[in-house]
Amino acid sequence: MKEVNKETLKIAAEKLLFDMEDSQYETLLNEFHVIIKQLELMDNIEDLSSYSPLSFPYVDESFSLLRDDEVIEETLLNKEEVLANAKEVRDGQIELPKVVG
Amino acid sequence: MNFEAIIGLEIHVEMKTKTKMFSSAPIRFKAEPNTNITYLDLAYPGSLPRLNKQGVINAIRVSHALHMSIDDTLYFDRKNYFYADLPKGYQITQQDRPIGKNGYLEIEINGQKRKIGIERLHMEEDTAMQHHYSDYTLLDYNRAGIPLVEIVSLPEIRTGEEARKYVEKIKEIVTYLDVSDGKMENGSLRCDVNISIRPFGSDKLGTKVEIKNLNSTANIETAIDYEILRQSSLLIKGQEIAQETRRFDEAKKETVLMRVKTDAVDYKYFSEGNIPPVHLSKEFINHAIETSNELYDQKLERFLKDYKLNEVDAKILLSSKELADYYDEAAKNSKIYQPLANFIISEVLGYLNKNNIAISEFNVKPSNISTLVDLLNNKEINSKQGKDIFQKMIETNKDPLALKNEMGATLITDKDKIRNDVLEIISQNPTLPDDYKNGKTRALGFVMGLLMKKNKGKVEPNLANQIIKEELLK
Repeated sequence: MKEVNKETLKIAAEKLLFDMEDSQYETLLNEFHVIIKQLELMDNIEDLSSYSPLSFPYVDESFSLLRDDEVIEETLLNKEEVLANAKEVRDGQIELPKVVG
Repeated sequence: MNFEAIIGLEIHVEMKTKTKMFSSAPIRFKAEPNTNITYLDLAYPGSLPRLNKQGVINAIRVSHALHMSIDDTLYFDRKNYFYADLPKGYQITQQDRPIGKNGYLEIEINGQKRKIGIERLHMEEDTAMQHHYSDYTLLDYNRAGIPLVEIVSLPEIRTGEEARKYVEKIKEIVTYLDVSDGKMENGSLRCDVNISIRPFGSDKLGTKVEIKNLNSTANIETAIDYEILRQSSLLIKGQEIAQETRRFDEAKKETVLMRVKTDAVDYKYFSEGNIPPVHLSKEFINHAIETSNELYDQKLERFLKDYKLNEVDAKILLSSKELADYYDEAAKNSKIYQPLANFIISEVLGYLNKNNIAISEFNVKPSNISTLVDLLNNKEINSKQGKDIFQKMIETNKDPLALKNEMGATLITDKDKIRNDVLEIISQNPTLPDDYKNGKTRALGFVMGLLMKKNKGKVEPNLANQIIKEELLK
């Protein structure tokens, strides 16, 4: 596994478009070390070769997660709500500075 | 030096569902901007994605039509990037487990069938529409979240023509399955091209160039052919090909540089935690396949076998799914399939082409066309009357039988009346029988002309022909 140090955290933060105080990186690094220690406990379990990694505890078999293709009008936002957070609005659309050539 | 091109295509197809892939917002083409949006589409806190069943069914249908193996468990991932067209900060896609894998389609080049391999088909969501103006950009989130399938070919395409035919085949499949409009001009089918060239015989790949902004199949062919020439001439001059993204300039018919690619973007893919994996039963997958619409090739086979149409006409009718459906609907009401096809091809298509409208905008009911063709075929009206009634049907949308009565469009079939008229004409031109017997066949046409003139063209022609012959030979 890739070593987690302050440098790795700084690179990750930059990719996620934020930055923190040095002391906050220290706190985060300590938390990471705790997590990694816990993960290392897994190494004590013998022979995991027949198990594939899981990203979820279960696979849904009930189809309840599949929604019928029907419009639910009540969930629609009106245009004013949609544009409420926009700094600049023009012609019913959100206006941004142009960033492509 | 001779070069060969290595071309791979990535095609995005917008699904024709009522709602978006992960939210219940409607999909309405050309709706007022920013009006088809729910909380999820704007990534409001607390909103969760819920999968559109029809979107999944459509993806299964396309995968099956492309001979792919279908994954029976749905997994979704997040493709993270920071851009205003997707407010969540990521796009929900299927990176690790695409629903379709390892398929192919067949195209025909110079009469030879050729298989093009398809690596994967995955479901994802569309992004917001951006309209770029001279110094600002406008965002319309109506498109954000529309279901897409992305179809990624293997790099097995070699020419612009092959690429065009590949895209046309995909378009044909998605439109015949009725899972998409498949209109490149409206952006419901979009194609990116990856192309590199290498000397023939080499197994080393050249530098890959991506071409975007291709809005017609013809442009795909032109852009690729141009790009092959551009890259070849660079290599011949000993220059390097830069890894870049280019776009097609329609006016100049050439590709132009958009941006040079530096490092590959790291999308930091990881599992979409808000959508647990969903296992699809065999029954669900089979049902999706069994209930899917006929594909072009199946429809062609049926038109030839059941309707006994000739292949040229069948292919004309199948040139668009809407036209094929129109014929199918008309045929339900008919037993004379070939005359019906002839009429639709010559009269209906003629009208549509002349007025530059689509069959979907043509308001005459298919069953009315079959009735009209029956009238013509049974010789109850002649072709001139048929054309007049057809014109009135377009104008008034009335039933052809009602119009026939209204317009007094009947044919004279009274044998005695016809014979009397014929005898009168012959008596005024007494040399005609001898002329006819001596081989001057135009005597018959002469009598027919006068007979039709006298009766304003309303004599049943076969019957008239028979009686004139009888009288001339007496």
